[in-house]
Amino acid sequence: MTKLPSSSFQSNSPGVRMFQQILRNRSARIGGILLLALIFFSYAAPLITDKDPNKTQPSQALKSPSLEHPMGTDGIGRDNFTRFLYGGQLSLRVGLVGITLGAVIGITLGMISGYFGGWLDSFISWFTDVLMSFPDILLALAIIAILGPGITNAMLAIGISFVPSFMRLTRGSVLSQREMTYVEASRALGSSDFRIMMKHILPNSMRTLLVLITLGIGSSILAGAALNFLGLGAEPPTAEWGAMLNAGMKFVRQAWWLTVFPGAGIFLAVLSINLIGDAVSDAVAGTHIIQKEK
Amino acid sequence: MFNYLVRRIFTSILVLFGVSVLVFSVIHLVPGDVTMAILGRQKVTAEKVAALREQLGLNDPLYVQYGRYVSKALRGDLGNSIRTNQPVAESIAGQMPSTFALAMSALVVALSIGGLLGLLAALRHGTWFDTLIMSLSVSGLSIPTFWMGLLLILLFSVKLGMFPSISNGSSPAQLFLPALTLGLPEAAVTARMVRASMLDVLNKEYIITARAKGLPQRLVIFKHALRNAMIPVVTFIGLQMAYLLGGATIVETMFARQGIGRLAVQAIYNRDYPMVQGVVLVTAAIYVLINTLTDITYVMLNPKIRLK
Repeated sequence: MTKLPSSSFQSNSPGVRMFQQILRNRSARIGGILLLALIFFSYAAPLITDKDPNKTQPSQALKSPSLEHPMGTDGIGRDNFTRFLYGGQLSLRVGLVGITLGAVIGITLGMISGYFGGWLDSFISWFTDVLMSFPDILLALAIIAILGPGITNAMLAIGISFVPSFMRLTRGSVLSQREMTYVEASRALGSSDFRIMMKHILPNSMRTLLVLITLGIGSSILAGAALNFLGLGAEPPTAEWGAMLNAGMKFVRQAWWLTVFPGAGIFLAVLSINLIGDAVSDAVAGTHIIQKEK
Repeated sequence: MFNYLVRRIFTSILVLFGVSVLVFSVIHLVPGDVTMAILGRQKVTAEKVAALREQLGLNDPLYVQYGRYVSKALRGDLGNSIRTNQPVAESIAGQMPSTFALAMSALVVALSIGGLLGLLAALRHGTWFDTLIMSLSVSGLSIPTFWMGLLLILLFSVKLGMFPSISNGSSPAQLFLPALTLGLPEAAVTARMVRASMLDVLNKEYIITARAKGLPQRLVIFKHALRNAMIPVVTFIGLQMAYLLGGATIVETMFARQGIGRLAVQAIYNRDYPMVQGVVLVTAAIYVLINTLTDITYVMLNPKIRLK
């Protein structure tokens, strides 16, 4: 699931080389297959099961796993397997939307901050430091407190809480790129600031950013599930892994399947991304060495 | 060193200023009229709205409101809860010991388990044991805290009946499951960190020298390697401590424990803005304080930076 940073497909392109190196990593291959499977099962839910994730059948409540209900049923008789499949769509989407928002805003701020320097840089850096002083999930909680609970607000909150890390990493990378001779050359040729940033600095910073983006998807899924678990995200009856765990917690003594399966979904999704992320991180370090040796 | 101290403390004050502005803004950033958000489904009368606006001090200009908020906060007055009318500062002070006990015991779990496994993995670098520890650590990083908590409840409380699943208290039996829930994922991070730091040090020339002159392994590890490997770990402990304070939110909600994290979540449900503001402000301030102290400790521990 790693996006190629380069659009060309020549074998000597660093992007393709990196991708090949990631593919050679066994854990990354396991992670990739796992992730593809999760995406497939979530989005192919209507093909796999003809049940409705929200249809209640009180007479069927809290049935243990069987052929009819492979993951049992919940407190009001909904099929847990169907909810698991549909819940995956939302959990994965929250993660992806969250990280995309965070990356776009953070990278933009980081580029502006690093490229232009001066008071703008001081201000953005200060603001980032301020955002960073809300530990862990607290920044997202504060944002939810302002916007009110809900799935869209949860995505927004997660996105904003990722802004500081992207901003810092981009800024650092831009600072080192800014003084390179190719940037100077491009400026001498009359390129605009915008062109230099988009055509030269951003692609060259992408390598380091790629690690944060990949690992960030995992953290973002975790954060989304956490907010949903706290009851601050998806509203019932929407199926979402974190929210399902919250609902299943009440029945932890009677129905283990209501807590084990949705949690396993979150765990496997994050694990698959972390496995890929580790390989991306190795590959990035690898291409770096190759380039240095040249 | 003195210059560094002054600069570092100044930056922290600037950041705290930003934090206070942001926390103060919470009530003003709420879309629409904040009094409507608070009163919600109650029968809203003009008098009620006016009284609430008066109570929240919303009728003054913004800078007056901010000045009042900060000067009160500095004197330990964080306003009153809209729901219970109790002073926010009192509620936080009352819940803090429980959160602190949880965070501290989780830190002990993280450092003892993570530190030991990380150290052993580094010493057995490249063996199956190293691979096993690193695989466990990736899994630990990927496990949602709340899921692990539920699995621990399933095992220790439902199956074995050893520990309570609702544990509101600070005795070892009551702290065991919550501390494990919060501490184990951090142990995974710690193990990675200690292993990387230890491997880095073990490849240094002075370790080779120490070995070459025939020092026993025990001395090489404990006297030379471990001490130097600990420097980055110290910075890390500070960060972890602060993260545990934030992560306590989920664990407290799960085990129905008292604590400031649960206080915050409930305040969000209840739209009790002064309470949300208070908890967020206090937690962020503690975080900034810990970070500042960690940075200073780091500089003091590291002679290369200290002597500059």
